[in-house]
Amino acid sequence: MRDSNGQPDSVGPGEEVKALVQNLPLLSNDLAFDEPWQLRAFALAIAAHKSGQYPWSDFQSALIASIKGWEGAGEVGDAAWSYHEHWLDAIQAVMVDNDLVDVDLLEERVREVLDMPANRNHHEPHYEPVAVDPGC
Amino acid sequence: MSRTGRTSEEIAARVKALESMMIEQGLVTTEMIDHYAEIYENEVGPQLGARVVAKAWVDPEFKARLLEDAPAACGELGIGGMQGEHMVVLEATPEVHHAIVCTLCSCYPWPVLGPPPNWYKDPQYRSRMIREPRKLLAEEFGYVIDETREIRVWDSSSELRYWVLPERPSGTDGWDEQQLAALVSRDSMIGVGSVQVTP
Repeated sequence: MRDSNGQPDSVGPGEEVKALVQNLPLLSNDLAFDEPWQLRAFALAIAAHKSGQYPWSDFQSALIASIKGWEGAGEVGDAAWSYHEHWLDAIQAVMVDNDLVDVDLLEERVREVLDMPANRNHHEPHYEPVAVDPGC
Repeated sequence: MSRTGRTSEEIAARVKALESMMIEQGLVTTEMIDHYAEIYENEVGPQLGARVVAKAWVDPEFKARLLEDAPAACGELGIGGMQGEHMVVLEATPEVHHAIVCTLCSCYPWPVLGPPPNWYKDPQYRSRMIREPRKLLAEEFGYVIDETREIRVWDSSSELRYWVLPERPSGTDGWDEQQLAALVSRDSMIGVGSVQVTP
C-alpha cells in the first residue's frame, strides 16, 4: 500500500554520485537545489565526466579554483546559490580549457537563450484555460 | 569570471546554452543528464505535492485555503521556494477535469512537483494538449476521460503556475494522510493520470 518512503529507487547511480561528490569542497551532505538550473548543472557535470569528457579531478580543481577566486573577491551572498554558480563556472572552465566548447559560441548561445523569453511572452500570467474540451 | 550581478535568469540561460552545445556536439546525451538529475529529484519532488493533496482531502478548511492561496497553504506545510510564488491549484471534480501544460517552454510548479518530466517539455505534448487534450490523454497516457466530462487545459507561465488537486478515490474512507499521500502520483497533479487505489 505504501511506497518505499519516498526513497530514491536508483541506489546504484546514487552511490556512484555520492562517491564523486564526497571529496568536493564546501559540500555538505545535504545537497540543496532551489532552482531547476542548479539540478541541471549538477547532473550535467556528472554526465559529462561519466561520458569520458574529463577526469573528475579536473572538475574538482576547476571548482576549487572558482571558489577560491570568489573568496578572494570577498563576495557575500547566498552560499547555496553561489555554490551552484561555482559549479556551473567549473563545468564551463573544464569544457573550454579542454577545447571541447568554444567560448565565443557559448556566449552567443547564452544571448540567444536570453533573447528568447521576450518573444515568447511567457512572463505573463494566463488566467483562463488555454483550451477547453467540453463534455458531450 | 565574475559572479556579481548575474541574475537567476542569466545563469539558467548559461546552463541551458552549455547543455545544448554539449548535446549537439555529442559530448553528453539528454538521457544521461536526466539519469543523474533523477537521483536528486526526490528531494524536491512530487511527494511534496502529494502531501499537500492528502491534507486537502482530509481537511476541508485546509483545502479551502489551498484553493484560495496555494503558496500560503503550501507554506503552512513548510513547502515553498523559487517558482512557487505564483501557484494556483485547480480542483478536479466529477464534472470538470483539469490538466496543465506550458505552451511555450516548460514552466512548472517546481516546489511541489520537482523538475518537470521530459515529455512535459516535448513540443508534441505542448501542442497536442491544446489541440486535442482528450485524445492525447487517452492515447499517450492511457487516461480515458469520460466523454461527458469537460476538460480544461491551463497554460503555466513563469508568472503563474498551475497544478491539479485530483479527486480523492473511493474506497479510501478512514485512511490517514500518509496512506493517502502514497497514492498521489505526479501525473495526477499534472492532470495526465488518475489517482488509483492499488489492490
